[in-house]
Amino acid sequence: MNLVRLLAVGTWLHVKQLSRSPFEIATSILIPLVQATLAVYLFRASPQPQALLGAAVGAGLMGVWSSVLFGSGGAIQRHRWEGTLEILMLAPRRPVLVILPFTIATAVTGTYSIVATLLWGRLLYGIRLTFADPLGFVAAVPVCILSLGMFGLLLASTFVLMRNANALANTLEYPVWLLSGMLIPITALPGWTGPLAAVLPTTWGSRAVRAAATGGEVWGPLAMCLAISLVCLALGALALSYVERRARAAATLALA
Amino acid sequence: MLRLIGVGGVIAYRALFNWTTPAMFIGTLLVGPVFQLVFFAFLGRQLAVGSDHFYIVGNAVLASSGACVFGGVMAVSNERRFGTLGPVLLSPRSRTAVFLGRALPYAANGLLIATTTLLGGVLVMGVPVPASALPSLLLAFAIGSVSCAFFGLALGAIGLRFRDVWLVSNVAVALMLLLTGVNVPAAALPDWVRTVGSFVPITHAAEAARRLVAGGPLGDSVAPLAAELVVGVAYAVLAGALLRIFEAESRRRASLDTL
Repeated sequence: MNLVRLLAVGTWLHVKQLSRSPFEIATSILIPLVQATLAVYLFRASPQPQALLGAAVGAGLMGVWSSVLFGSGGAIQRHRWEGTLEILMLAPRRPVLVILPFTIATAVTGTYSIVATLLWGRLLYGIRLTFADPLGFVAAVPVCILSLGMFGLLLASTFVLMRNANALANTLEYPVWLLSGMLIPITALPGWTGPLAAVLPTTWGSRAVRAAATGGEVWGPLAMCLAISLVCLALGALALSYVERRARAAATLALA
Repeated sequence: MLRLIGVGGVIAYRALFNWTTPAMFIGTLLVGPVFQLVFFAFLGRQLAVGSDHFYIVGNAVLASSGACVFGGVMAVSNERRFGTLGPVLLSPRSRTAVFLGRALPYAANGLLIATTTLLGGVLVMGVPVPASALPSLLLAFAIGSVSCAFFGLALGAIGLRFRDVWLVSNVAVALMLLLTGVNVPAAALPDWVRTVGSFVPITHAAEAARRLVAGGPLGDSVAPLAAELVVGVAYAVLAGALLRIFEAESRRRASLDTL
C-alpha cells in the first residue's frame, strides 16, 4: 500500500509541477494540434477514404511519445540542473521508485495531447468521436500511458549514461512515430522494420489505442504493450541502481 | 562593416556551439531531418498524396528550418541567458549589423543540412534527383536558408523583451510543417493557410526547388526564388527594427539581463 501511495503521490506531485510550466503545457497542446491539422489535411487529400478519427488519435499519441522522450529522457539531468537529484537519491527508497513517478508524470502530461487533438478534431473539423470500442479506448489510454511511463524510466536511466543523450533523443522522435504506426500502418514500411517495431511498447500501445478508436483487436496488443513495458521497467531499475552506485562511488552525482 | 558582420558572426557561432559535440551536431542537425523526410515520404506514399519527389525535395528545403530558426533565436536570446548581452550592447559598432551577421553562419549551416537531407532522402527512398538540377537546387536551398535565418533572428529579437521565446520558436518550427505546404499539396490546403504560408520562409523556396526537380529551367523558378528573397529581406528588416526597439526598451526599463 505504501508503495502504491508513493508512486501515486509522486506522480501527482510531478504532474502538478509540469502542469505549471507554460512551456510544457503549450508544447504538449499546441504542437500536437499543428500535427493533427496537418494529418487531417493529408488524410482528406488522400484519394482513398481515411478514418479522420485515426488522424486525431494518431497525432495525440505522437504528442505523448514526444512528451515521454524529451521529459523522461532528460529526467535525471533535469533534477541535476535543479539541484534536487541529491535529495531524491537520499530518500530511503530505491532509486527506481523515486524516478518512476516522474517518468509516468511526463506520460500523463502527454495525455493533454490526446485530449487536445480529439477536441480540436471534433470542434474544428467535425470529426465524430464515435469509438469502435469505447470501453477498450477508456482502458487502452491509461494502460498505454502507464506503459510509456515505464519505458520512459529505461530512457531516463540509459540516457544518463550517455554524454550525447540529447542528440539521441532529438533523432528518436520521428523514427518511433513511424515504426510504431501512430499515423500510418506498419505494413506500409519495408519488411526489415518489422522486428524493430515489434520490440517497441509504443507500437503495441498505439495499435491498441487506434484499434479501440477505429476498429480492431484491442486487448492483445494492450497486453503486449504492458508486458514489454514491464521488461523496460526491470531493465530501467537495474540500470538506475548501477548508475546511482557508480555516481555515489565516483562522487559525480551532481556533475553533468 | 563586412568584417564586423562576417567575422563577428563566425566568432559568435563558434562561441555558442563550443559546448556541443560532433555527435550532437550530426544527430540533431543531420540525421533528425532525414528521419523527418522519411516519415512524411512514407505517409505520403501510404495516403497516395504527392510523389516521393514532392516529399524529398520539400523536406530537404524545410530541413534547414530547425537549425536556422533555433540558431537565429539562440544568437540573440542566449546572449541574454549567458549574461553576455550587456557587453555586446556596449559595443560602439552598429548592433543591427552585429546581430544580422549572427544569422549568416546559421544560414550556411542550413545549406549544409538541406544538402545532406536531400542526399539522405534520395538514398533511403531510392528516388534519384536529376544531376542537372543540383546547382540550381543549391541556390534554392541557400536562399531558403538565409530567409529562414532572418526569420529566426526576428523571433530571437522577441527574446529581448519576452521570456518564452523558446515556446514561440518551437511552435513556429512546428507551424512551418503545415504553412509552407511542404507536406500537403497546396491544392489540399485552405486559402487562409496558403495566404499565411506565402509570408513564411521556405514556402517559395520549396516551390522553386520542386519546379527545378521537375525538369524546369532556372528561369521558371526565378519568381518564387525572388519571392523567397523578399520574404527573407522583410524578416531581416523586421529583426533589425525589433532589435533596436527592444534594446532601447530594455535600457529604459533596466531589464536587459532579467530572465
